[in-house]
Amino acid sequence: MSQSTLFKPSRRRFISSAAGLSALAVAAPLVVTSRKAFGAGKLVLVSWGGSYRTAVENALVKPFSQEMGVDVTVIDTPDLAKVKAQQMTGNIEWDVFDAPGALGTAGSKAGFWEPLDPQMAANSDLIVPMKKDLAPLYFFTGGIGWDPARYPEGKHPRNFTEYFDLKKFPGKRTFRNRPSETLEAALLADGVPPNKLYPLDVDRAFKALDKVKPSVVKWVEQTPQSIALLQSKEADFSYVYASRVKTQTDGKYGFSFDQTLNGLEYFAVLKNAPNKANAMAFVAYSLRPDRQAAFMEILGNLPASRKAMPMLKEETRKWMPNMSSPNNAILDDDWWANEFDTVSRRFKEWSLT
Amino acid sequence: MKAGREAFAYLGPALVLVLGVVLVPLLFVVYTSLYNQGVTLDAYRVLLKSTLFQKSLVTTLEISLVAAFASLLLGYPVALHLARQSARQRAFLMILVLVPFWTSILVKSYAFTLILGKEGFINQALHFLFGSEVSLQLLFNRVGVIVGMTNYLVPFVVFPVLASLLAIDKSVYRAAEIMGARPPRIFWRITLPLSIPGVASAVISTFVMSAGFFVIPALLGGRKDVMMANLVDFYTRETLDWNLASAIGVILLALATVAASASFASRTGSRFEFAK
Repeated sequence: MSQSTLFKPSRRRFISSAAGLSALAVAAPLVVTSRKAFGAGKLVLVSWGGSYRTAVENALVKPFSQEMGVDVTVIDTPDLAKVKAQQMTGNIEWDVFDAPGALGTAGSKAGFWEPLDPQMAANSDLIVPMKKDLAPLYFFTGGIGWDPARYPEGKHPRNFTEYFDLKKFPGKRTFRNRPSETLEAALLADGVPPNKLYPLDVDRAFKALDKVKPSVVKWVEQTPQSIALLQSKEADFSYVYASRVKTQTDGKYGFSFDQTLNGLEYFAVLKNAPNKANAMAFVAYSLRPDRQAAFMEILGNLPASRKAMPMLKEETRKWMPNMSSPNNAILDDDWWANEFDTVSRRFKEWSLT
Repeated sequence: MKAGREAFAYLGPALVLVLGVVLVPLLFVVYTSLYNQGVTLDAYRVLLKSTLFQKSLVTTLEISLVAAFASLLLGYPVALHLARQSARQRAFLMILVLVPFWTSILVKSYAFTLILGKEGFINQALHFLFGSEVSLQLLFNRVGVIVGMTNYLVPFVVFPVLASLLAIDKSVYRAAEIMGARPPRIFWRITLPLSIPGVASAVISTFVMSAGFFVIPALLGGRKDVMMANLVDFYTRETLDWNLASAIGVILLALATVAASASFASRTGSRFEFAK
């Protein structure tokens, strides 16, 4: 066809570069596998990408490799579907899995994780106890964010009741496009005390959400968008994460610590992990107060270790919730592990109407 | 005999690749959609009864059709223009068509926020012209999805249509001109009919591609713009219900197959067959 004439002037160059590219593509996996094949001390950690990855590498992976002589490979994006595939085929490639709340407990329910040594860290040091197959790593803190240049003190909501109060604080809002965190926010707004949230009164939560539904500009799918929407003035107030406000806006945007929703991030070890001993050592190492402090100093979330708190800079601690405040709620991952499926379907159907 | 062997030498590698890399996993998906503690059609039954599935099926069809035709409307004139350039100029202009195609969807979606947003270029222009009360909601609704998808899909219209246009024998135009046809008549009687094969393949491929989209609806769409691919993602990664996820995949594939064979039938039955 005459399409070929389009490429005529540089066809030879095109072909040679295409051949070069495909040779590279073929060779790339070989390089990776051959590196994997060397050395007895190995570990594969699957964690989150971007600046999160830098934090994990600098605070945990590099010092662990140096101290223990273990060669750690870090892979991006923990995906439970891939864990399921690995478990189904018996071809386990990952050792340690970095799991946010419900993902961790869902894996637990499906039997994807190895039991952990409960003595791995001093339970007295941890804000929440170890689970049988999940090690609490840190809390991420969700709450209300705003741009102080547009909404000075007194002009923006500070707790969920106010976030749902469209008369007192008119304007566009955001929520996550999922029931977890969103239903909790609705119930807190409706007056349920934070320590009496679970089991969630799902009907009541949807009723509360019905009222704010028309004022929601976006049900956020990708976390960074929750702040980007404030920056582009699409949203007046947004459900954001404290650590993201600190890093994504250099701490210039507002975040209310008056009332927060706190979710746990866990480390889990895959069942029949190829480097199980190293994996266990790595999880224990990550719970050490000094490593916890180093990790959270970069990431800006609340460490699971109590002893890590005083090791943090004053400036960093300003961005952490006070967990002894009765206004703050903790997400119950066990409840979500059992209900996520049905409640999510209902949430999705509710969004379509 | 010899010709058959020769054909195999040319087609063999692609055939092996398609069998191994596409067909085997595809059969596994079909199997997963049918197997849930024994062979059963339960997944399909559940889906057909589910409001969530029905609504997103309709949304998917609507969005895919609109996106495919919007891309055709925008892409066809571009292809027409490209076809009239010298080969050299065309090569340069084609790069311009491809630049947005090479840009990451995430980056483009962010750029669209700047253009379509409440305080974006379009709305600021409207404020300037008609006062600040006049403003259009162009983002986080169907409009945003269609704009984002069309931007992505236009190159997939331009190239097949361009190939069809370039294949038209120039002497046909000359003959028409000699017989006194004016440009509009030449377009309707010659250019358009002879470019139909390119148009058909463009519409089909953009429709099929749209049916599998999910990043753009997630970033630029509203809560009601849930596509089938979003559901596949939900069942695969969040609820780990691969039975249902595979069944949706099979239904999507069936849709694509129906669309493609419809176009194939219309093309082989076309009265413009002589053009080839």
